[in-house]
Amino acid sequence: MPVLIRFDTPARLPEPEADRDAWSKRMGAVVARLADEFDQFFDPTATDPGPDALTPAITWTAFPALLLQGATSQEQRWATADASRSRQDEYCEWGVERDGDGVVTRVTFTCETPEYFEHLAERDPDRLLALYAELVGPQVRLEDLVVGGVYRRDNVHNRSTEGRPAHLIQRNNNLTAALRLAAEATVLRRSADGRPVTSPQELTRCGGLGEPLRNSDPQIASAVNDAAAQGAEISLADPLGLYIHRFLVGGMETPDGADPASFWTVERGTPGHVLRASYAVPAERGYRVGDVRADGRPIRFGAQLADRVSVRLTALVRPADHRPVRLPCVG
Amino acid sequence: MGSPVMDTTCAAFRRLPADALRPDAVHRFVVGEDTRLRVLDRDEAAAELGDPFATLLLLRGVFPRTAGEVLEALDRESPAGDPLRDGFFFLLGEGSQIALTPETGSVARRLRFLVARGVGAQGADVLLSAFSPDEGDVELMAWDRRSGGFNYYQTVGTSSAWVFAGNSRHALRDPTQGKGPFESHLSGTFVMKELRFPWLHWHSKAAPILPSVLSQDPALVGHPWVTGDNPQGADVCEIEVAKPGIERWARHRFDRMLADGGRIDDPARILRQVLGTPSVNIVSSQTESRDTAPGRPVDLPQTFFVDSEGLTEVLGLLPPPPFSVDGELYLTALATAGARVTDGAGFVQPGDTHFAFAVPERAFEDQVVLRQAVRVGLLTRRLAACLLMTDFPNPVFSDRRAALLAHVPPTATVADGAGDFSERMAGSITAAAPNTPEGSPEREFAARWARGEDLSPLDDELRAYYTAVGARLRTQDGVDAYVRLAESRRARVRTMPISETPLLFVTTDVPRAPREMRADATVTEV
Repeated sequence: MPVLIRFDTPARLPEPEADRDAWSKRMGAVVARLADEFDQFFDPTATDPGPDALTPAITWTAFPALLLQGATSQEQRWATADASRSRQDEYCEWGVERDGDGVVTRVTFTCETPEYFEHLAERDPDRLLALYAELVGPQVRLEDLVVGGVYRRDNVHNRSTEGRPAHLIQRNNNLTAALRLAAEATVLRRSADGRPVTSPQELTRCGGLGEPLRNSDPQIASAVNDAAAQGAEISLADPLGLYIHRFLVGGMETPDGADPASFWTVERGTPGHVLRASYAVPAERGYRVGDVRADGRPIRFGAQLADRVSVRLTALVRPADHRPVRLPCVG
Repeated sequence: MGSPVMDTTCAAFRRLPADALRPDAVHRFVVGEDTRLRVLDRDEAAAELGDPFATLLLLRGVFPRTAGEVLEALDRESPAGDPLRDGFFFLLGEGSQIALTPETGSVARRLRFLVARGVGAQGADVLLSAFSPDEGDVELMAWDRRSGGFNYYQTVGTSSAWVFAGNSRHALRDPTQGKGPFESHLSGTFVMKELRFPWLHWHSKAAPILPSVLSQDPALVGHPWVTGDNPQGADVCEIEVAKPGIERWARHRFDRMLADGGRIDDPARILRQVLGTPSVNIVSSQTESRDTAPGRPVDLPQTFFVDSEGLTEVLGLLPPPPFSVDGELYLTALATAGARVTDGAGFVQPGDTHFAFAVPERAFEDQVVLRQAVRVGLLTRRLAACLLMTDFPNPVFSDRRAALLAHVPPTATVADGAGDFSERMAGSITAAAPNTPEGSPEREFAARWARGEDLSPLDDELRAYYTAVGARLRTQDGVDAYVRLAESRRARVRTMPISETPLLFVTTDVPRAPREMRADATVTEV
């Protein structure tokens, strides 16, 4: 695997050449800074990953694990997750559309990080507006998105759990945070009594690596830390990004026996790098998402589908011979 | 062929003498029905076996020896695009979360694979379990597309002989129920011991089995079953394989009853899954034991305290609040109990299992039967609620609730989602109640039944109980008592076939004794 020439856009989205370089510089600055800061985090545009480099996928469920702990019932946790984007903290957020009867007609999931939209706002506001029109609707105006020359991530068209989201807005759901988490997780830790800290929740708390009870943070931290313990160097694979990994249909039933997987549509990205997807029943079928059943229950919440969506981040592991020293906990 | 086999457990297959098996042949050994192993000729095999593993491989003379060879053969014999060529690899092991150190290198982690092929909305068509891709002793189950139910197969050692061990329907009737594979597959369906986040012993997003642990087995390093996307997490197994597979068999079972004029010859077989505890799943806190500390809450599974799956998710009664205990109280209770993790062969680690407070809960396969019994009209919501509320503080292993099985009418008929079974059963219990001692389960049932169709008073009872549990969880005495109660329930599980290693649960010094929870949330020895 040769040295990377530049960081590509998320899912290798089409991009004018000059803007493509600008995106690479934006992310390259973040990666280079982290590589300077952490011995076992490397910059693939500066260091050859080598022929033996591995690209392990780290995946987790989109439904927020934090809400499982406080749940009283299935309906309670689904309703809570559907109520606010700020609760959707697993690098995946969704919006729900309903018809006049309140029945679910479409659920749209996005894993697209805000950094790319900030890049568009800086480089090409017209393209930003066109993209919003495509993703959210034609009612969007540029002045709703960019205020005082600054792009508003949680603008009026991208803060609701109803309708169509544009990109991630939860405060931890961004690419810079994912990169920093991966870099910080390369540091090995030991407990106060000298025992190696390796289990996901304990490692996350010990290393100050995010929220121990989320799905994503402990999973990323644990995978990176295990590779670092083997002496390897770690980065994230290009194209940098969080991606929708899979949609599971086990236990789903449609009124007419149609394959429930056939209603899942990738809207943005490629099959290997899905940024956005939605679940909707084609009009000619004559029924709605709310008429589809999952585990015997009609789909009344987007979160019922979030239980079945997984999110992926792909690490880049460069075999090396570091002999890291375990450090005390910071968290 | 060979001598009669007297062993009726699932271990009978491991004891089959190698010379009794004919290579490249299908054998039949349905324990309880067959007293000895016999070879099925092609016509017999074709008449009995309608699953894709048989029709694509065995009946065409393809006899793989290892799990890996089974998959290669399915790839080769299935048409392009057939779901049988795609699938998932899962990894589990009761010692899989014990970090690899020089001191733990010899722990038997019992790492093993589950492979699912032909996965769709109804689960997998072929499932196989093996300790290694390249070893024999393969256990396989495949959905019979002709007659329904799973067909169970087994190989012995590296022989190319395959043994048909029965179909799901054999699990439900004499003389085969509870024998052979149905000793652990009690209702004839797929068993995944943990069917709830965070899946203590499975590779999962919450507790990945780290590559450093896998590196113990040189054959697995870099193997496709454990590289790239694999192994998949337990969440995928639960959603895509286990739950739909269990539902598939239960629905088939009940639909057959409906097709048979709605006549149910042995309703007690169904009610045992509602009132008894024939099987369990394992559930735990979502908190890692190592992350437990004073001042930090340890969440406890709701289903330890109440059957919230049945009472709330199926019947719509009041949901329990989240239960948790302060880490200091929990750690003190563990120390008092002498809690440690041990493999029984020299490895001892003080403290609890990877995720805290692993305990049994009512099995998902039994919950599904409850839902199906309500769906077809065998059980009305009122009867189901009054049955499950009997001794509700003890969601598993309740002798009081199981005592109501004595009142199950011998037959039942349902039509259009209704029948008179519920009234007859309730009538039998309420008629018997006056002649039973004070506090009997019959009297308890009858008191609730007398309130009629309005189930809201049941919510009041649950609310009072939840409040009492919450109060007890704030005291050291209360937490100590719940740790002892948990140990009593674990002891019951240790006598069940699903308990294959001491690493399944924590080990403690709590004296062995049956214990019960009471409605005031106190624990008593019985």
